[in-house]
Amino acid sequence: MRPFDPQLLRAAPAARRPVVALAVVGVLQGVATIATAFALTAVVLAVVKGMPVGRPGAWLAGLFALRAALSWTSERVSAWAGSRVSAALREQLLAAWLRADADRRPDPSHAVALAAQGTSSVEPYVAKYLPALVTAAVVPPLAIATLAVVDWPSALIVVLTVPLLPVFAALIGASTRDATQRRWQALSALSGHFLDVMRGLPTLVGYGRATRQVETISSVSQRHRRTTMETLRLAFLSSAALELLATISVAMVAVTVGIRLSHGSVALGTGLVAILLAPEAYWPIRRVGAEFHAAADGAEALADIQGHLATGTGSEVAAAGAGRDDAARRLAASLARPATVVASGLTYTYPGTTVPVLDGVSLTAGPGLTVLTGPSGTGKTTLLEVLAGIRVPQAGTLSTPAAHLVSQRPFLTADTVRSNLALGTAAGQDACWQALRDVGLDGVVAAMPQGLDTRIGDDGFGLSAGQRARLVLARATLSEATVVLLDEPTAHLDPESAGIAHEAIRTLAARRCVVAVSHRPELVAAADAHVHLEQGRTTHSDSRQDREAQQ
Amino acid sequence: MNRTPAQNETAAVGRTRLLHPTPRTALAGLLGGAALSAGVALTATSGWLIVRASERPVILTLLTAIVAVRTFGLARPVFRYGERLVSHDAALDDLAARRTSVYERLIPLTPARLGTRGRADVLTGVVDDLQDVVDAQVRVTVPLIATTLTGVATAVLTALVDPGVGLAVTGLLVVAALTSWLAWWLEGRSQKELLAARAEVSRVSELVAQHAGDLQAIGAGEAALGWVREAHDAVEAATRRQSRGRALAAALLPLATAVATVVAALTVEPAAVGAPVAALLVLAPFALADVLSPLSDAMRSLARAQASDARLHDLLDQAPATGPTGHRLPPATTVRAPHLRLVGVAASWDGARTALPPVTLDLPPGTTLAVTGANGCGKSTLLAVLARHLDPASGRYEVDGVEAREIDLEALRSLIAVVDDEPHLFASTVRENLRLARPDATDTDIDAALAAAGLAAWRQELAAGLDTRLGAAGTGVSGGERARLGIARALLSGRPVLLLDEPVAHLDHPTAEAVLHDLFAASAGRTVVVVSHRPDGLDGAARTLDLAAATLALEGR
Repeated sequence: MRPFDPQLLRAAPAARRPVVALAVVGVLQGVATIATAFALTAVVLAVVKGMPVGRPGAWLAGLFALRAALSWTSERVSAWAGSRVSAALREQLLAAWLRADADRRPDPSHAVALAAQGTSSVEPYVAKYLPALVTAAVVPPLAIATLAVVDWPSALIVVLTVPLLPVFAALIGASTRDATQRRWQALSALSGHFLDVMRGLPTLVGYGRATRQVETISSVSQRHRRTTMETLRLAFLSSAALELLATISVAMVAVTVGIRLSHGSVALGTGLVAILLAPEAYWPIRRVGAEFHAAADGAEALADIQGHLATGTGSEVAAAGAGRDDAARRLAASLARPATVVASGLTYTYPGTTVPVLDGVSLTAGPGLTVLTGPSGTGKTTLLEVLAGIRVPQAGTLSTPAAHLVSQRPFLTADTVRSNLALGTAAGQDACWQALRDVGLDGVVAAMPQGLDTRIGDDGFGLSAGQRARLVLARATLSEATVVLLDEPTAHLDPESAGIAHEAIRTLAARRCVVAVSHRPELVAAADAHVHLEQGRTTHSDSRQDREAQQ
Repeated sequence: MNRTPAQNETAAVGRTRLLHPTPRTALAGLLGGAALSAGVALTATSGWLIVRASERPVILTLLTAIVAVRTFGLARPVFRYGERLVSHDAALDDLAARRTSVYERLIPLTPARLGTRGRADVLTGVVDDLQDVVDAQVRVTVPLIATTLTGVATAVLTALVDPGVGLAVTGLLVVAALTSWLAWWLEGRSQKELLAARAEVSRVSELVAQHAGDLQAIGAGEAALGWVREAHDAVEAATRRQSRGRALAAALLPLATAVATVVAALTVEPAAVGAPVAALLVLAPFALADVLSPLSDAMRSLARAQASDARLHDLLDQAPATGPTGHRLPPATTVRAPHLRLVGVAASWDGARTALPPVTLDLPPGTTLAVTGANGCGKSTLLAVLARHLDPASGRYEVDGVEAREIDLEALRSLIAVVDDEPHLFASTVRENLRLARPDATDTDIDAALAAAGLAAWRQELAAGLDTRLGAAGTGVSGGERARLGIARALLSGRPVLLLDEPVAHLDHPTAEAVLHDLFAASAGRTVVVVSHRPDGLDGAARTLDLAAATLALEGR
């Protein structure tokens, strides 16, 4: 694990300013710290020699005031940088996933964990670890360089002992790595136990098993304590050893300076500066070690996020995009040409499987309503997703303007009716009501306590199934996309609701190209064209004219 | 929440006890004080040594100081090591005790007092809050004791030598105490706002990550990123506000140090105390500043721990949702389902707002009933009353003709298996996960239950059979499989009444339908009540109750 990966700055440009700001403040603080040693020496000298304290005192006060300002800035900057960097990473990650096709997104549970907790754990890394790292990179060299100029024998002692710190740390780390690793695993199992039991408490209570766990919790917690203490003893011992090394080194400087002073081979001021500067060469390095423990999760998450940003975006997606273009360009193009979907030879196989779901599907859908039928499992949903550009076919060509897909479980979130309805569009009040009228939902919404501003729950909680289906149809009519894809829009509705929804679909199809997957005979009858899919292939397609000619 | 005055009192006591040191934390604080004092002494005696040496005395007179410098140098890490060992061991011991007691206090409150949805998240919050509260000992109590000891010792010793310097050091300590208080106050004030903003970021980013494909499908990617940005702006604003307290503390301490050092330099009389001691005294405030600077971190932890403690008390100080019961045993109905009857039963979670308007419902043995109705009409409340998780506010709940409150609570609950929308899978084997519903079940019983819940094919695929581990570190399980495992557990329990609360809320249409279809097929002879806000798969139930309409009809009568 590298202390700092500059890749972070390349992967997240928004992180640059905060990180640079942290570095600048850190360097200034380092310089102020060194200067303070001189001012403090001057004050002590003035006192010892019975000279007026005024001038050095003023210097000292001035420097401390500067340090106060820098400490203030540093606290503010690091808090801001922490939240800014994690926010930037989160936004980039989500943007990448929103652009990527389905096969390039991580599975939802991993994505959720990374987007919420992963990016948050970067915060202490930036807010605490990076400032410590900057201090460690700036202050010790500066202190040693100053010492070398002021009093080289002291500098020599420091130069000889400072490298022992990382070497010592590495040695301790290497000799205890296996034991530590083993303990950490045992530890995470033990500490996970309580969380597991707690999350399962409703289940345990439900089956009358909760009381039995009290003893177990107590004994596992005590075991957790013993194992943790074994791990901590080792960790504390090694940090005590490092501290000992540092203080002994400082004491060595102090004692040698003392002896040299008593021989008169060095001036008092020089000696004082030496003993005040020497500790500055050690503690920043130890602090990095201490902060790193707190930031380790963040470092790990950061590596993971960078991996996702590297694969999730970039040119490959655009290059692979038989169906995916830049959304804005597609929209512009879609306005120029008539809404027609032309696909030929589409082949799609799910990752990790061998049998293609789509095996050379060809389809042409013009303005009006095209209904897609076929037994379940023949890839109708997959076909719609390919047409929508959410999945990229392995073979075949596809020409389609921007599409709006209403999936089987369309996205409805805990928010107002208005924001769910206008999601993804800039539709205003009037357009919203018009869309609701189109699907026959205006009366329902008008009767709600706050009309358009009534809140609904997750997944459309609080609306009936028919109302949900019509709400997402209304949303489709508001969309600027000229192609609307509907996946089983009325499968679970009672006949009355389905009738209203079919009416709305017909209205929608008057202005756009609508492709709907449906088993409803009445919708097939009302379609301008009908395509039947079987075993991943188009087996039958006709238009209303064909059917009318047959009759 | 329903709190009696007595409970409020214990809550207040619990809150003030947050920083109360146990003997072991006191010992840790003492050791910490010794470590910090050694650090101050190291800087001060080094100064004395240097100045004394510059007077070129006989080397022997320096020897004491040299030994002192080395001793202080050795003592600091040794004491600190001791302090950390003792404080962490004490905290872990305390954690073990508190975990057990919090768990025990939660049992009677589960599930009714944990909210109706997202209970697992509430319980995760309890685990985190508990950790924060216990951390306060290591991060707040011990540093406070150690710093106070060192500060007072430094002030007293310097004052003995030179009262003026003692006064300067005392002034520094007072300023440090005041800024710490200020930092704590500012931190605590913005805590709530920051937590709320962070929760919103988590909610929004989880929503977007979970539904990236769905958002793409409707062209709402940009809008979704807009939500995330908005939530981030709120967090950034809150973070900035909260960092004010710490920034102020961080800035005031150097200023106070400068003032104390200059005052010490002006008041000290080298002629009276000697040059070396004068140097020692002038360096004292500077050495002390290092000790005082971690206080703002301690205040941050304190504010956090107090917020966590308050949340824990709010949860734990609630009264159970079921009152005392009689001790009648339910009729022997282990084979046959009891006859359940609600007569004009209304219920409320908080005693104020009616969550379930009066409803009358007859459930003869073997009834399968689907309860539908719009959100908020009391479906889950109805189920909670049936499950005896919640006492009715009025009306009668009869079990085979006997008022439910006269029947022993545990005995009655043992007739009823409840499956909610998030059945928990423990980090254990498939066998143990199921057997918790019936400890004496054989592998054959378990296999039968899995098959009945539609998991026969899944069972065949398991790498280690029933020994396959599930849960956090185990095999991944899909949402449908999780719902089915919850149902398998309920079937295995052999309990004659099955109550399912939104069992398929998180599943897609075909899976939801298949799961419920298998459920109705497997539960012949039992009384089954399914609550769902979605119609998928409910046609398998013999009866359907639109609760909103039912309660309305009763009211209108």
